[in-house]
Amino acid sequence: MSYRAAQPESPQTGNPQTGSSQIPDRRVVVTGFGVVSPLGDSPRELHGRLCAGACALAPIELFDVQDLPVTLGAEIPGFSARDYLGEGNLRPLDRTARLAASATERALADAGLSTEDRHRLSVGLILGTVFGSVGTISAFDRRGLEAGPRYVKPLDFANSVINAAAGQTAIWHGLPGVNSTICSGTSSGLQALAYGADLIRGGRADILVAGGAEELCFESFLGYQRTGRIAGSRNAAPPCAVPFGAGRNGFLLGEGAAFLVLEAEESARDRGVAIRAVLAGSSSGFDPSRGHDGDSAAASLKRCISMALHQAGRESSALGAVSCSANGSPTGDLYEAQGLAQALGDAAGTVPITASKGLLGESLGAGGALQAIILLESLRRGQLPGIGGSESPEAGLPLGRLEPTPRDVIAAVGLATSSSFDGHSCAIVFDGEGGTNE
Amino acid sequence: MQEPIVITGIGLVTPLGKGRELFWSRLLAGDSGISPVSSFDTSAYSVHLGGEVKDFRAREHVKNLEPESLGRASQMAIAAAYEALEDSGVDLGEIPRERSGVIMGTTSGEPQEVERFDDRYVAGDLRSVGREFMDRYPCHVIPAHMAAELGLAGFNLMIPAACAAGSYAVGQACEVLGSGRADVMLAGGADSFSRITYSGFARLGAIAQEKCQPFDRGRRGMIPGEGAAVLVLETRRRARQRGAHVYAEVAGYGLTCDAHHMTAAHPQGDGAARAMEQALDHSGIHAQEVGYISAHGTGTPTNDRLETLAACRVFGARAGGKPISSIKSMLGHTMGAASAIETAVCALVIEEGKIPPTINFEDPDPECDLDCVPNEARDQRVDVAMNNAYAFGGNNASLVLRRPAS
Repeated sequence: MSYRAAQPESPQTGNPQTGSSQIPDRRVVVTGFGVVSPLGDSPRELHGRLCAGACALAPIELFDVQDLPVTLGAEIPGFSARDYLGEGNLRPLDRTARLAASATERALADAGLSTEDRHRLSVGLILGTVFGSVGTISAFDRRGLEAGPRYVKPLDFANSVINAAAGQTAIWHGLPGVNSTICSGTSSGLQALAYGADLIRGGRADILVAGGAEELCFESFLGYQRTGRIAGSRNAAPPCAVPFGAGRNGFLLGEGAAFLVLEAEESARDRGVAIRAVLAGSSSGFDPSRGHDGDSAAASLKRCISMALHQAGRESSALGAVSCSANGSPTGDLYEAQGLAQALGDAAGTVPITASKGLLGESLGAGGALQAIILLESLRRGQLPGIGGSESPEAGLPLGRLEPTPRDVIAAVGLATSSSFDGHSCAIVFDGEGGTNE
Repeated sequence: MQEPIVITGIGLVTPLGKGRELFWSRLLAGDSGISPVSSFDTSAYSVHLGGEVKDFRAREHVKNLEPESLGRASQMAIAAAYEALEDSGVDLGEIPRERSGVIMGTTSGEPQEVERFDDRYVAGDLRSVGREFMDRYPCHVIPAHMAAELGLAGFNLMIPAACAAGSYAVGQACEVLGSGRADVMLAGGADSFSRITYSGFARLGAIAQEKCQPFDRGRRGMIPGEGAAVLVLETRRRARQRGAHVYAEVAGYGLTCDAHHMTAAHPQGDGAARAMEQALDHSGIHAQEVGYISAHGTGTPTNDRLETLAACRVFGARAGGKPISSIKSMLGHTMGAASAIETAVCALVIEEGKIPPTINFEDPDPECDLDCVPNEARDQRVDVAMNNAYAFGGNNASLVLRRPAS
């Protein structure tokens, strides 16, 4: 199979036939953002509140936390899909799908993609998630157990597949292109962006909405507490989910949805829309020790970052900001710091680094896409949020710029990294200087 | 053309048996892997048959991880991965570990793990839920377990595109290899037998009482199953360098979305037809060159009718007279494993010059006017085979394999 494929299906964009191996990979640009998060539903609001140090963590109200030791999480207060999606039958969409469809609505509008455009340009959707909705899946099954299998709900069954939110979102918005759900743990959101970029570079798609979505629900809330990874779930210690914090003891769960519109550069130019950034490089990897061997975990992330920088044609010294996945995990944050330091070299001491999960919660499949949006808004505004929380960073971490307050960003190249506790890692380099409108 | 991607290894765990050779011989014999469901009590259901994998013992396959710490889909996937690697002759020790990876597909991941949680929930026994729920359940742990077992540090991903997922996984593995980011990729699909899946399809009235009869006028539905299939993929150049046996080349693929309905296909087969057209375009292959089509062929009244419609849109009346069979008549619908198993079948059809039948075919349906290779396998040289798969969420995939250039 030829990697750089012909793309005869979309003559509308005026793309050249790229069947020749002489034609270089296409540039992937960002033309829209959509976000629904516990700290706001626009990149501007989210960025502003993070810079102000706002924290979304509060006692859970969405469901009964029963007698679980930890009751904190980052909900989206008062989320109503109606506010984003207007009229229409929302019943078939569970919370994950509603979050996804709402953020997708914002992203499509931001990129200037009308209903007609979506069909004509065969817009696709790449959705990163960990569960889809384990809440829906479990409720469907429990209904069968309690009332008998003849009484399960067909509507819930349709949503019991892990790709349900992607399917529902495509139906809601009329997105006929590639539709893929991507699962790689907490790196799913970044991985969805990397996967989408691959498809565009290789000529498989011209325009993709790519990102991630995850809901808070009782099942995952309980499940992760039982792993001991949740802050405060062991030894009755008070929760401390400050990324890189000296006293950190785990993460706290959050929820949200975040999408970027990724587009082939020539498609964006043909449409005459603003190019906000270039997705210049990406790479993924895996730590076969799954965190049991710190050297292996750090090396896995280091390789990803180095390869993403290489693909972007950038040195680490060019970086103006890093948005990483640290979430308060005692070992995970350490390995991410080590992987970053190994890849960045001298720049590890000078480039400002942020990690937002101490304020936004660990929103699993949405987390990586939220990191990307926070990074790109920071590049645009020249200001990177601090790492919120009162804890000072663990002494001896090999990163120089983990300040609690906002920092100036002086170069428009940014790096987003994710290191997931089940072994997956991903890194993406964005080039804000490729943008044309700011 | 840039670097072509080839299939050099096949590993299978199916309701028709473990291992490629047993599977293939039983498939050609028209055997059925369907039997009364044993993994849970179906007495409250009006249907009782399933395509379960029999006599699977994880301890015989999982060598490095603790077998009992893995969900069933992960266990089956690891067994299939070892078989595929052995079949390919790839020596992982000769490949930098970051240059080999895994991409899998699934419908439900490890549904038995959430079902165990649900049992405890209903019994008021949530206290007994331990860390194993989240260590075993999320679907991304399937490729993670495979990579941890085998020591693979490259690209690692789950694409849960439901019943088309195996094809999505194979397609993406080709992208990773084609762009030079890996030397060897394992790609496939896995799903374990699921009460959730069974209950849902039973509630929809989509499960056949007695047998799965794709394209038959009297067809009454699908039969849920389970299994795993893993393919070893690498560049043709690398396969040649090491003198490997090549089953088939992945010529191209097409992925589309109906954007129409979660569980019902587009009434004109729109997304399915677009996927086939895209796959042919991408492969640079004319419709006339396709010599065999592996149907999605679930055996539900609607799927088979609309699939026929879509195939005729692309290939002409009677789908151009091409043989188009459904192995789900023998295996049941192995969900996330299905399109990976069917990709393996397409490779074997090209290799062996034999086409597996659609069994249980009794009464032709004018709305499914196809050569479905009824009941008997056929000897026929095939140079190009297409694998079609359609899924909940309107996720469609068509994959084209061709005879490797000699």
